[in-house]
Amino acid sequence: MSMIEFTNVEKYYGNFHALKNINLKIDEGETVVLIGPSGSGKSTLIRTVNGLEEIQEGQLLVNGFDLHDPKTDMNRIRKNVGMVFQHFNLYDNKSTLENIMLAPRLVLKRDEAENKKIAMELLEKVGLADKAANMPSELSGGQKQRVAIARSLAMKPKALLFDEPTSALDPEMIGDVLDVMRDIAKDSSMTMLVVTHEMSFAKAVADRVIFMADGEILEDSTTKAFFDNPKEARAKKFLSQVEHH
Amino acid sequence: MVTIGIFSAFTPQNVMYLLGGLGVTVGVSLISVVLSLIFGSVVGIIQFERLPYFSKFVGTINNVIRNLPLLLIIFFVYFALPKIGIHLPIFWATVVAMSTFESAMLAEIVRGGLESIDIGQFEGARANGLSNVQTMIYIVLPQAYKKMIPPIISQLISLVKDTSLAMGIVLSEMTYRGQIVYAQNSTYIIPVLAVITLVYFILNYGLSLVARWADRKLA
Repeated sequence: MSMIEFTNVEKYYGNFHALKNINLKIDEGETVVLIGPSGSGKSTLIRTVNGLEEIQEGQLLVNGFDLHDPKTDMNRIRKNVGMVFQHFNLYDNKSTLENIMLAPRLVLKRDEAENKKIAMELLEKVGLADKAANMPSELSGGQKQRVAIARSLAMKPKALLFDEPTSALDPEMIGDVLDVMRDIAKDSSMTMLVVTHEMSFAKAVADRVIFMADGEILEDSTTKAFFDNPKEARAKKFLSQVEHH
Repeated sequence: MVTIGIFSAFTPQNVMYLLGGLGVTVGVSLISVVLSLIFGSVVGIIQFERLPYFSKFVGTINNVIRNLPLLLIIFFVYFALPKIGIHLPIFWATVVAMSTFESAMLAEIVRGGLESIDIGQFEGARANGLSNVQTMIYIVLPQAYKKMIPPIISQLISLVKDTSLAMGIVLSEMTYRGQIVYAQNSTYIIPVLAVITLVYFILNYGLSLVARWADRKLA
């Protein structure tokens, strides 16, 4: 069953054509990595999946809901689709634990004791149980991002979107965040769509790689096929550029 | 001369009379502070939300009010509204005028405070499944109000001081009563004005202490 399905999707910012005729199907449980040069529309694409960006034409089905239909309740989609941002976007006025517990309490009406238990387990899982009482301002970038991942997982989503989750991190922090993401990818029921420049992560974890440039999907291949033998000239060029880091 | 005034200006009768004025000043101020905090927040949020037509409409009215002299608004409420059948007692006319004006000023502070919050806070909350209203109540407003405390308090200090403008419609507040007292004897002018100065200072310094306390509490 497909979790995310784009059919002839077009997205404009005023006159700028940000997404061009996007056709993409992501099945439940798949881990898909989205790569491409900056300005290629990767972030825009991933942000349409939970309605942070509207599409102008075409059809976008997420978990069975049509995002282009004005009658669709966006919150019902967001309940099942978590997102991890480049700049973390933790609630600055809430402690680590409260960051994780707030949405389950307000949106899912989860029992308070149960909520706290799940939140602590998640903090344990991302290695930050000792930071439960700290405020976001007291955490490092890598720690913030792991809390943000725990916050998304607390909603028990069917799909997780990662929008350049390690791009704002110091190099020595990246590993811990990728480890957590690898762990999540092992869960066979979790659908993951990841925008990243971490090629080693893509090689190790992704089922498929999507290559975008100028708002178009140029290549959609299995991970092995993409890295061993990219079809598109621009993908080849891109790979040679990023792999020389 | 002045020394004589100090001892004779504050007869029990004059003190009671001035205290009554202080009561009016504090009464008008307190009610107006509460009302303008409520309406100012509502109007500020409406402007921030950019609702089609409605936000523009509210914003325009707000701009007009902000750019009028407060004294004119006081005159309007007390002298003009009765001509169209709305009669308010002088105390409440002042409260309505003050609240209208200060709401408009506070709305601008609230709107600015909301706009200073990073868009990431909204997106994080929305992506997390919170509704618009929940995002505002639990995430955005607490952060915005914390930033807004200093400008809000200085606006409220203006409010307390500006209650004295209501002597323009002969509201018997503290400054007006002071005038009545020193009209009895010109040697009273300096001591009476000195005491009134001190009282305004204490009132407003108290407000800034509340601000500091709130700032610590929200930190």
